[in-house]
Amino acid sequence: MTAHDETLDCKGLQCPMPVIKTKLKMDTMEAGKVLRMITSDPGSCKDIPAWAERVGHTLISTENTDEGFVFLLQRGD
Amino acid sequence: MYSFTALELFNSLESGKNCLIIDVRNQSDFEESHVEMPGAVEVVNIPYFDFIEDEETTVAIVPKNIDLKIICAKEASSVFVAAVLEGNGYESIGFLEGGYAMWQDLLVAKQLHSQPYQLWQFIRPAKASCSYAVAKNGEMFIFDPSRNVEFYQQFASQNGCEISHVFETHLQADYISGGPAFEAIYAVHEDDFKDSSFNYHAISDGENYDLDGVTIKVIHSPGHTPGSTCYIIDKEWMITGDTVFIVSIGRPDLGGKVVEWSRQLYATLKQRISVLPESLKVLPGHFSDWSKEVSDDGSICSTFGQIIQNNEDIYGINDVELFVEFIQSHMRAQPEIYSQIRLVNTGHLDPCPDERQSMDIGKNQCAASQQP
Repeated sequence: MTAHDETLDCKGLQCPMPVIKTKLKMDTMEAGKVLRMITSDPGSCKDIPAWAERVGHTLISTENTDEGFVFLLQRGD
Repeated sequence: MYSFTALELFNSLESGKNCLIIDVRNQSDFEESHVEMPGAVEVVNIPYFDFIEDEETTVAIVPKNIDLKIICAKEASSVFVAAVLEGNGYESIGFLEGGYAMWQDLLVAKQLHSQPYQLWQFIRPAKASCSYAVAKNGEMFIFDPSRNVEFYQQFASQNGCEISHVFETHLQADYISGGPAFEAIYAVHEDDFKDSSFNYHAISDGENYDLDGVTIKVIHSPGHTPGSTCYIIDKEWMITGDTVFIVSIGRPDLGGKVVEWSRQLYATLKQRISVLPESLKVLPGHFSDWSKEVSDDGSICSTFGQIIQNNEDIYGINDVELFVEFIQSHMRAQPEIYSQIRLVNTGHLDPCPDERQSMDIGKNQCAASQQP
């Protein structure tokens, strides 16, 4: 597993909640820090990368695991 | 805040009511497919997460004093955006019940004939495709049904009918067929369905099917696929599948044998289709451009004579090699999902309902030539 600073579990939540919770979490983090976020909502799979690109966070990786979709996001400036 | 169904949205747009659709899905889903109609539709894409990230700036670009219709993928995000807008003083805001998925599956019935038999065209706006029903005295034949089998079953029972036969014009590659799911005779051409995993009734060229005195004649018309078939109803209508469109013809390059199938299509057009009466009213499997192909009554239908006139660039070609060149010069990539959809439609792949829905998204890419 790649190194990360924070984790956020959004399993069981539907759109728009995974993006809302991820945004709130990222707002508390410093630039350059990495969040490991997990969601079970297939809709969020396209939205998280699109949102991250829009607001300037870096999507380090996306992985489809048994637990759900795992995103590693690095906070932008 | 109010809610609306996909059919209410269609009817409201068709009647020309003024509104602005805000599609709040992500940009790539929006670009793949969004609400289109015969007339102009005001639609903008503002992803819901823009409202999360920067509410003030995002709300500022939404006009006031117009009815807003919000669409997301499933529903919850459009309710969220509608609530944000309400909180900012907007007054007339609706959201689509069930989200874009409902628009994707919407079928709109247009009755084309009522006595002594009934004929309906079911337009699927999101796919730009058409299926059909012919009924008489409580019996109904369905042609080219899409995935929403429940719709056809309800439609039949509302009209006091039992569905006895389901016909395909060909093995569909661009949408998942509902055909195999009906408890009815599944009538298809062997050249397209011989490898399928389910039982079917093989139709053949020249056969007539009787619907209480109404004759449905089978015309084998290979080219788009080897088993492509047209059905002539009561010598008046012709269901053409992906062989004849109002604009263009069905592309013969989807099977990876463009030269062979183009030659076959040329022979079909010259020897089997062009010889038919020009008075036949053509009922196509698809359309590409609402503005050019929709009739005043909202149906997708034109006489064969009119079609020959309007597609002189195709029907005017009198040399098979020139025809092959024409096809090749208009070729474009086919969506990757088509090979998967063919597997589903022959019973070799059985995805779960959610997967079926996502495989079935997007407008058809079936015409040989597309005008800009």
